[in-house]
Amino acid sequence: MSTHFTPTEEAILRIVQADLPESTTPYADIAQRVGCSETEVLELLHRLKDNGAIRRFGASIKHQKTAWKYNAMVAWIIDPAIADTCGELAAKHGNISHVYYRPSSAPDWPYTLYTMIHGRSEQEYHDVIEELQRTTPLQTYAVLSSLKELKKISMTYFA
Amino acid sequence: MELTALHKQLLDIIQTDFPLCPRPYAELGTRLGISEQAALDAVNDMRHAKIIRRMGANFQSAKLGFRSTLCAAKVPEDKMELFVATVNACPGVTHNYLRNHAYNVWFTLIGASWEGMCETLASITQQTGIEILNLPATKLYKIRVDFAMGE
Repeated sequence: MSTHFTPTEEAILRIVQADLPESTTPYADIAQRVGCSETEVLELLHRLKDNGAIRRFGASIKHQKTAWKYNAMVAWIIDPAIADTCGELAAKHGNISHVYYRPSSAPDWPYTLYTMIHGRSEQEYHDVIEELQRTTPLQTYAVLSSLKELKKISMTYFA
Repeated sequence: MELTALHKQLLDIIQTDFPLCPRPYAELGTRLGISEQAALDAVNDMRHAKIIRRMGANFQSAKLGFRSTLCAAKVPEDKMELFVATVNACPGVTHNYLRNHAYNVWFTLIGASWEGMCETLASITQQTGIEILNLPATKLYKIRVDFAMGE
């Protein structure tokens, strides 16, 4: 587990957890800022990408500004005994980006399988819900559509 | 700004795999048959138009030794302002949404220790009088694929 980094590595990671320089040589720019070689920057990023600590490296986009404007978190009531079947079936769907199982003991919140469904129109994500109902054990759901974004930041792992 | 076919092709690559090499825009240019400068300009246009929110690393919190959870609360209107301000003041709260359900506020919390996160939630409840449903994931079946921008 790569949770321990040298001060130089932490300095590099502080920059890439924020925003890459807007130049043709972003890694050389980072190296210059932290006082190491470009090779060290690239090796660290390759290593963390290979071991999965960096899940994605690149652009985070605002989906509201692309064709994928409609999304909703849809949570389903499922039999815990077939959680894996349900989760894997939902994960296969091309319009679904995230699938999690989150047990709940709250009587007024019995929904445990969370699917983030995306559509290019409102109809498209309704169609996805119907398709899941028709073809999988997923039947009873709650739609949690977002009325307002109250906060959205990237986590500061390296302070 | 309108996304051209070139912008969409670039997004399809750089959402996941921005090249990790000394001249990343030259590499993108080679792949798409355009110059390094044209690739840089097209990406920078999208950054300035805020279509690209950020360029950099997205970490998997667990691999860095962090924990994460999803939280929900039923917040009455007269407590909304206080509750949202209290929640948003926590540095580990990365996403917070008002949603159309009896559980109307949903936020994610990331922290270095589970105990610390539970203390954070207890402190929010103590300051606001609002109970919080803490829903850590026990299983993960899919996380964030990129959607094709090309036609």
